[in-house]
Amino acid sequence: MRDVFLPRSLEKLWTYLDESPGALVFAGGTDLLVKTFNGFPEGEALVCLDRIDELKEICQQGESIWIGACATHSGMVASRLVRNTLPALWKAVGEIGSPPVRNMGTIGGNICTASPAGDTLPPLYAMKAEVEILCREGARRLPIAQFIHGPGATGLQKAEIVSAVRIPKPQGLNLQHFEKVGLRSALACSVASLAALARLSPDRVVEEVSLAWGSVAPTVFTCPQAEETLVGRPLCAASLREAAEIVRHRVRPISDVRADAEYRRTVAGNLLLRLGTLS
Amino acid sequence: MKTTMIEVGYPAARFDARSKVSGEEKFAIDYSREAILWAGARRAAMAHAMVRGIDTSRARALPGVHAVLTREDVPGTNRQGIIHKDQPVLAGSRVRHCGEPLALVLAEDRDVLEKALGMIEVDLEPLEAVFDAAEALGADAVRVHESGNLLHKAVIKVGDAGGAFDRCDVVIEDSFEVPGQDHAFLEPQNGLAWQREDGRISMIVSTQAPFRDRFEIAHALGLDPGAIHIVSPCLGGGFGGKDGATVQCLLALGAMRAGGRPVKMVWGREESFNAGYKRHPVRMWYRVGAMRDGTLQCIHCKLIYDTGPYAHLGVEVMALGMEHACGPYRVPNTLVEGWCVHTNNPVSGAMRGFGVCQATFGIESMMDLLASKLGMSRLDIRLKNALRRGDKNGAGITLVNSTGILPCLETLGGHRLFQESEQWKKLAGPYKKRGVGIAATWNAIGYGRGLPDSAIARVELTREGKIRIYSSVSDMGQGNSSAFVQMAGQILTQDASHLEIIQPDTDLAHPSGSSSAGRTTYTFGNALIAACEEMKEKLLHRASLLLMLDEPAGLALLPGIIKHLPSGREIPFDLLGRLFPESDRMAVKQFVMPVARDTLESENEFKLGFPHLLFSYGAHLAYVEVDELTGKTEVKEYLCVTEGGRVINPACFDQQVHGAVVQGLGYGLMEEVLTRQGKILNPNFTNYIIPTSMDVPDITSLCVETEETTGPFGMKGIGEVGMNAPLPAIAGGVEDALGCRINRSPLTAARVLAALDARGVNR
Amino acid sequence: MKISFHLNAKEVSVDVAADRKLVRVLREDLALTGTKEGCGAGECGACTILVDGDPRLSCLMTVAQIQDRHVTTIEGLAANGEAHPVQEAFIEKGAIQCGFCTPAMVLASVALLDKNPDPTRGEIREGLSGNLCRCGGYVKIVDAVEAAAIAIRRGNPK
Repeated sequence: MRDVFLPRSLEKLWTYLDESPGALVFAGGTDLLVKTFNGFPEGEALVCLDRIDELKEICQQGESIWIGACATHSGMVASRLVRNTLPALWKAVGEIGSPPVRNMGTIGGNICTASPAGDTLPPLYAMKAEVEILCREGARRLPIAQFIHGPGATGLQKAEIVSAVRIPKPQGLNLQHFEKVGLRSALACSVASLAALARLSPDRVVEEVSLAWGSVAPTVFTCPQAEETLVGRPLCAASLREAAEIVRHRVRPISDVRADAEYRRTVAGNLLLRLGTLS
Repeated sequence: MKTTMIEVGYPAARFDARSKVSGEEKFAIDYSREAILWAGARRAAMAHAMVRGIDTSRARALPGVHAVLTREDVPGTNRQGIIHKDQPVLAGSRVRHCGEPLALVLAEDRDVLEKALGMIEVDLEPLEAVFDAAEALGADAVRVHESGNLLHKAVIKVGDAGGAFDRCDVVIEDSFEVPGQDHAFLEPQNGLAWQREDGRISMIVSTQAPFRDRFEIAHALGLDPGAIHIVSPCLGGGFGGKDGATVQCLLALGAMRAGGRPVKMVWGREESFNAGYKRHPVRMWYRVGAMRDGTLQCIHCKLIYDTGPYAHLGVEVMALGMEHACGPYRVPNTLVEGWCVHTNNPVSGAMRGFGVCQATFGIESMMDLLASKLGMSRLDIRLKNALRRGDKNGAGITLVNSTGILPCLETLGGHRLFQESEQWKKLAGPYKKRGVGIAATWNAIGYGRGLPDSAIARVELTREGKIRIYSSVSDMGQGNSSAFVQMAGQILTQDASHLEIIQPDTDLAHPSGSSSAGRTTYTFGNALIAACEEMKEKLLHRASLLLMLDEPAGLALLPGIIKHLPSGREIPFDLLGRLFPESDRMAVKQFVMPVARDTLESENEFKLGFPHLLFSYGAHLAYVEVDELTGKTEVKEYLCVTEGGRVINPACFDQQVHGAVVQGLGYGLMEEVLTRQGKILNPNFTNYIIPTSMDVPDITSLCVETEETTGPFGMKGIGEVGMNAPLPAIAGGVEDALGCRINRSPLTAARVLAALDARGVNR
Repeated sequence: MKISFHLNAKEVSVDVAADRKLVRVLREDLALTGTKEGCGAGECGACTILVDGDPRLSCLMTVAQIQDRHVTTIEGLAANGEAHPVQEAFIEKGAIQCGFCTPAMVLASVALLDKNPDPTRGEIREGLSGNLCRCGGYVKIVDAVEAAAIAIRRGNPK
């Protein structure tokens, strides 16, 4: 049997973590508890963050949006701030799992799970989000691309938690898009996804673009070469096809039970073509 | 309660709706008793191996472990199976599939159970294995059984298929492949059993065949079938996967060694996948010949069914598939060859559509191909060849009973969705392609010749004055018990409040066949009608005694009473119930389904389960949209027209059709048991995906009524027929959209995208 | 460990291992078998309960997590023995087949209508997309939720 701690404040959290340094920290439990109920890993206490109110807030802080680690996906879907200022993230969280999973799962959990298929990750990468990390001694921040090291691997140290994600407010980006390809229309794990943010001139010339793919490499895949190909040219099928070709050459997908690498490679490129159809 | 009207033909609320919507209905998994022991099986996780040893000592020593049983502890033959008794309860010397059980643990709680299962040390010596049914037929293939890998080879032959091809204007050929499908019922295989002081074993179990279970358990464990008592509460889904022993033999074995304590076994979802039965993977080759005007002349096909290492109902599944392999069409010359083959893949068995939905993909695809080849419409070619009453079908059976495929197709053709297909296709958005597919379907009902399809119904007037039906066929959700209540209410003029139904209990009800084969409501319903009529007669005669009437003339059954209409005098049911002994308050009647009478050239190819007399029919249409960038295929609209004789309850009829269609859409679009070296790669709902509410459209279900004169109130079973058409309809829609046909199911995004790329579709 | 919470509007406490799966405590310790365990991994939704009004998966929760929370299971939905309008609509519209997914489906529908009293069919489908039904085609369930929405709006005029 494991202890389950439910700290109601950060102060209490640090005490628990001092007492049980090997404790497993979680918020919604949609990922971790599947494992612990199957007995893995053994023995460690569980610490649930979801009663620490200060970790649940969603607010604007200067030119950034601050989303507490324990904000649930449903909470983000319901947030007008997220919907209006971060539409790509809003779309992504709305497609995670299913309604009950979204009521439980949190953005902090999605980041810490660091799955290549984590649905919030491509938009967070595309928006150059920073992860806020907290321990008793203080806070630090890391760009999300530095925080996530690989599948399931992050830069989180012992006795640290992710407290929030800070997302620079997209400025003047009039195209904000997210598309997830799953094997069905709900309750699906992504087999490829694309977050795209761009500033288009009135005649649809790409002035700035940021792209990030999920599920096509060990971590979220970004592709400056494809971005460069698009910048300065009208967003049209021809330029997108060129960029798609570059992407297909550079992604490093795996084959698994959900899709083979070849499919992921093709679709990673194809998803760019959709941008040409968006108004 | 809002509606108590239950007359036959009216969409009455289901009899079980209120208890299910309130959470009160108890499924087998919800039963518990004092001091239960939890049972679990240690499984091989290796597809083919010799058992060198099983060391249970560590597990036995674990506190909380009550017993660890292996092959040596199994009395009797240790072989279970519905017809072929070939599947070990616990494997002792050889393992033939990954889900094979090697040891049974009884433990005080689930945690201890899990731990103990992990502590059993199993020493297996891997053997070469065979995973491809075609390969398994080779002379030098690895042998799954000493007797070889061919469980059964059969040929259905009508006319002269060989010679007839020469006389055809067109001949086309193609091959198809379908994978295994999991039933994915939400209530996993489970049960609760205990041995009583008199030695009898009682079992509450999620089963489709309570009466047959007694024999299967008795044979496997060397028991007297009369000493086994099965109770079958409502099932949380079955679809064929709970037809034949799942937990039964293991549970009974556990109960025999539990010192009178109750033993509960619940398969986890992964175990449900790994150890449960599957729909047969099938490979098909078809050759079809026709005249220029589209008239079918001959069909030759070869079907290879992968039945896994044990027979289950493999031969019967193949027999039914072969019987339907030529579709609901008039084909004078047919040659259908089938091989039912052992491999080390998961065990295949019964599933809704029972061999037919595989073959329907083959024949309906061929009909589409033939239509394109001849420049005919897909509907016209089907209309031209559709069976009519009096025709012989492709297996040589004369259709002397209701035969409704033609009106189904005509209704489809007249429907708005068919008429508006072309307009709808033109409205596809960017990177979207649209197509429309149709398919005809049929499905036999009943066991077929050689195995009496029987049911015995018992109705009783209780002391409290209610009419009680003792159902002996399980309700796995299809609503048969509700239909029984409606039928009894109709004959005895009772409303729902005066009727009760008892779910199957082998100590209370009379033996009947399984809940399967589209025969549950048909066969038991016919028996029930006879029993209710006898009951009615009896009630009227007993009432006339009490009313001192010379004869029952003028007496009428009304809800809860018998009334003498001329005088207005009444006898309440409860008075009757109290005045007559139990033996007089009941009626028991048997019904056996009629069988086909033709003498066939292929008569003796199957010992049982062939051929069939009665069929239900359907015609389906799918609006399909393909995304060219991802290959994702969506069904946007779905129409199905079904003929199943008369309809007892239109709401339940639609439920069955909708459910079959959605299982068919899953089969067509996403469901596939993936294996490597016989091991299931997706033994969970994360990766074995079934449709959610977002994956299927609103379904339009229409009914074409005929009168099946042998059926209860003119009905036939329609639980299965809807399952067979979605896959070919989708495949036809995809072909219409993209111009390429995909002959391997399911039509996943990856397969569709690969087909698009192969055609060099310019993106 | 003693865990106290509000269960179907009653205060209860249980003395169980803190890390037990909530669905099993509900079913095995509290005999509330209307909540089902279909997959044990959050993929089927049969274990859906309402926690403080929101649908959650009781197979992905430790019992400790409901300390002080308000939990509604299907058994607690019919206040004063009177069926909830969603339950009535499920009966009337033929939304029930084997019934194994039904309690969870009903609770998910209740929560959906609490948040969105006038949903489109598409919104209903999305709201129920975490609850697998293997017997039906979802059509009648969507019909039922639509009908329940109307009934509830009629019953609670704004």
